[in-house]
Amino acid sequence: MRMKNTFALLFCSILLMTVSAWSSPAASDDYFVYFGTYTGFTYMREGLPAGGSKSKGVYVSRFRPSTGELSKPELATEIVNPAFLAVHPNQKFLYLVTEDPLSLGPDFDHESFVTAYAIDQSSGKLTRLNSMPTGGTSTCYLSIDKTGHFLLFANFGSSSVTVLRINDDGTIGQQTAFMKHIGHGKDPAFQSKAHPHSIDTSSDNRFAVVSDLGVDKVFVYHFNAETGALSPDQPPFIEVERGGGPRHFVFDSSEKFGYSLHEMSGLVSVMAWDRANGSFTKVQDAKTLQADFVGSNDSAEIAIHPNGKFLYESNRRFRGPEMWGPDSIGVFAIHPTNGTLAEVEQVSPGGTMPRSFAIDPTGAYLFVANELTGNVVLFHIDPATGRLTPANRELKIDVPVCIVFVPHK
Amino acid sequence: MKIKKTIGFGIRICCLALGLVFITSSAAVAQSNNYFVYIGTYTGFRYVHHSRTWGVGESHSKGIYVSRFNSASGDLSEPELAAEITNPSFLAISPDHRFLYAISEDPLSLGPPLDHSSYVSAFAIDAATGKLRLLNTAPASGTSTCYISIDKTGKYVFMANFGSGSVSVIHVKDDGSLGELTSFIQDVGHSVDPSIQTEPHTHFIGVSPDNRFVIVSDLGLDKIFIFHFDDNTGKLSPSDAPFAMVYPGGGPRHFTFDPEGKFGYQLSEMSGNVDVFAWNSTQGSLTEVQRVHTVPHDFFGDNHSGEIEIRPDGKFLYESNRRTRGENVRGPDTIGVYSIDPKTGVLNPVQAILSGGIMPRNFDIDPTGKYLLSANQLSNNIVVFSINQTTGKLEKTGKEIQAETPVCLKFVPAGR
Repeated sequence: MRMKNTFALLFCSILLMTVSAWSSPAASDDYFVYFGTYTGFTYMREGLPAGGSKSKGVYVSRFRPSTGELSKPELATEIVNPAFLAVHPNQKFLYLVTEDPLSLGPDFDHESFVTAYAIDQSSGKLTRLNSMPTGGTSTCYLSIDKTGHFLLFANFGSSSVTVLRINDDGTIGQQTAFMKHIGHGKDPAFQSKAHPHSIDTSSDNRFAVVSDLGVDKVFVYHFNAETGALSPDQPPFIEVERGGGPRHFVFDSSEKFGYSLHEMSGLVSVMAWDRANGSFTKVQDAKTLQADFVGSNDSAEIAIHPNGKFLYESNRRFRGPEMWGPDSIGVFAIHPTNGTLAEVEQVSPGGTMPRSFAIDPTGAYLFVANELTGNVVLFHIDPATGRLTPANRELKIDVPVCIVFVPHK
Repeated sequence: MKIKKTIGFGIRICCLALGLVFITSSAAVAQSNNYFVYIGTYTGFRYVHHSRTWGVGESHSKGIYVSRFNSASGDLSEPELAAEITNPSFLAISPDHRFLYAISEDPLSLGPPLDHSSYVSAFAIDAATGKLRLLNTAPASGTSTCYISIDKTGKYVFMANFGSGSVSVIHVKDDGSLGELTSFIQDVGHSVDPSIQTEPHTHFIGVSPDNRFVIVSDLGLDKIFIFHFDDNTGKLSPSDAPFAMVYPGGGPRHFTFDPEGKFGYQLSEMSGNVDVFAWNSTQGSLTEVQRVHTVPHDFFGDNHSGEIEIRPDGKFLYESNRRTRGENVRGPDTIGVYSIDPKTGVLNPVQAILSGGIMPRNFDIDPTGKYLLSANQLSNNIVVFSINQTTGKLEKTGKEIQAETPVCLKFVPAGR
């Protein structure tokens, strides 16, 4: 017993080295880091059995980029399946989607919800404001327009995108747009119908770009920032390679190029963006997998460094530890004039299934969320080369799937 | 004429006398014969509809029309435009008769790979003129929205989104305008008919008489879903017996309860069957007691059953059978009449009568139960039938009006 205690103490002190308890007073460059998770499914999902998570909701840590200090995560709010998070431009509110809280399997699909929270500026804890249906099922993505007046959702299950108004007090109001995608792709497993997977507004707030994994298209909508309405652009979309499965999308910092990451093919389509007309022209299909790779890959997340010079993307195995997967973070240099990508390196994410990662707003660190191993691993970013080196810091969080930063005021 | 006037005067005197004691009820008596009939229409589709070019730009309608109907004489006035709006293919009236809600079915149909968003609009009814004033518009949260109804409190509207196979509930504010989406349910699955049942197609949504349950007919799945309805929050949740079924391939379209809430009647579009269910209003479950074929077994042609309604006194059921593929295909174009056994809910055939036009997609019985108005979509007319109070039989009154592409009729008491 005594031995055990001593061991526990020793173990704790080791942990303290990696995850230091927050002792320093708050500083102006501190951040809250929020982690979205899966808390488990009541019934079944995509043919997989229910359960498998000990997470209770959204977790929060404090983070100081200048020193790398990071506190142990605490439960910020209890909620079912907070699969994706978004922070309001005013940093006061956080929004998250609850993906299928009551999955019933056929013949019922599931209703997903969005919940608004007020962020406690001293503790980082979240206070629920209200919840609304997203107007779709298996909602997997949300973002906020540049004015902070609208929430945009990608409803993977029901093939739609929706927009809901944000009231002045941060609560969620009426639905202002609904767009349904129809059609199918090449892959019978995931492309028997449309599956919107991301939706983001352009920096001028005039357009919304939607990746549709089911139909191999990147759609462009006109976004009306007054009414929250979406209307199809002309042309309404750009096609990507068949069976590719567009998942997430980013603009470069100058918004001259768009980068679409494709879940099944692992390609990144580099597209020139005509911001006047809201149209894309294909520039390059960059491979993120080695040519000799054999196994199951689902590419997941894509982000560009704040300095605009490097692009990061994650490749994960999909079906658990018995399947071989790449489990890697790819680093690419962005050509300053033509936007094309050149591989810098491929790095192990320090866990299995790096579904999500995020770069802190100062550009010093990259946080990787490994869904299957239940850990969040920190890497230093070399701002000159883009290269990642392990920062020897890691958090234990069950089924982490989304990371967002909020400045601590 | 003179006699009529004298009688009218006498009635007015009576009303005045009564009015001294019962002001409100006398007003109701005096006005009870006059109704507005709102006519929902298709104004045409800009691109394609359900991937078919059929129907593009064929209608000259401009929106929702209103006629005046006298339930004493059966007179129906020429329609006037009540509100300009695109494809108001189904309407709902608030319980207090002050507001009308209309869906706009696919105002901007774009065809694959973009489907269409449908919308719902709230209107205030001008009690004197019947004209509609737009309050606001919201997305219906689905595509090819084909049905709208309102709960008994008037606080929620329900939409069946045929194209995307979902149902949605939107909150109605005190001023009648539309608020937040309070519930959204997506059906999944398919049934046996490859032409229309490869995916879910919700076609009806309505509350039970006690406002505690919601029924959803899904034409694509051959299922009738039952949800608990919370009229404080507008939430739907699956009931313990979450659905009943019709014969595969039937295509449940519209559903109605009897006025007492003891029985449920499901009309299926493709089979032309009416399934009769006993309704357990405590648990919210449907038990089938009878299946009626409304189309003769030897009928050869194109039938798509349209509307089902029970006379206000609960004694007779009416349903319409229409062709859908134009004038060149043989269709029944009939209205079937059935008597309802008050104990068992079982139907007995009374009559099948031609609807007085082509494609009786919709009809409505006036609130007094004396007349039935049939809306013939393809022949652009609305025909007035009288209803025999004893036998339930329909008889043409000879009265009819021309109306462009009429597809939904709703009565509202006029001049409140």
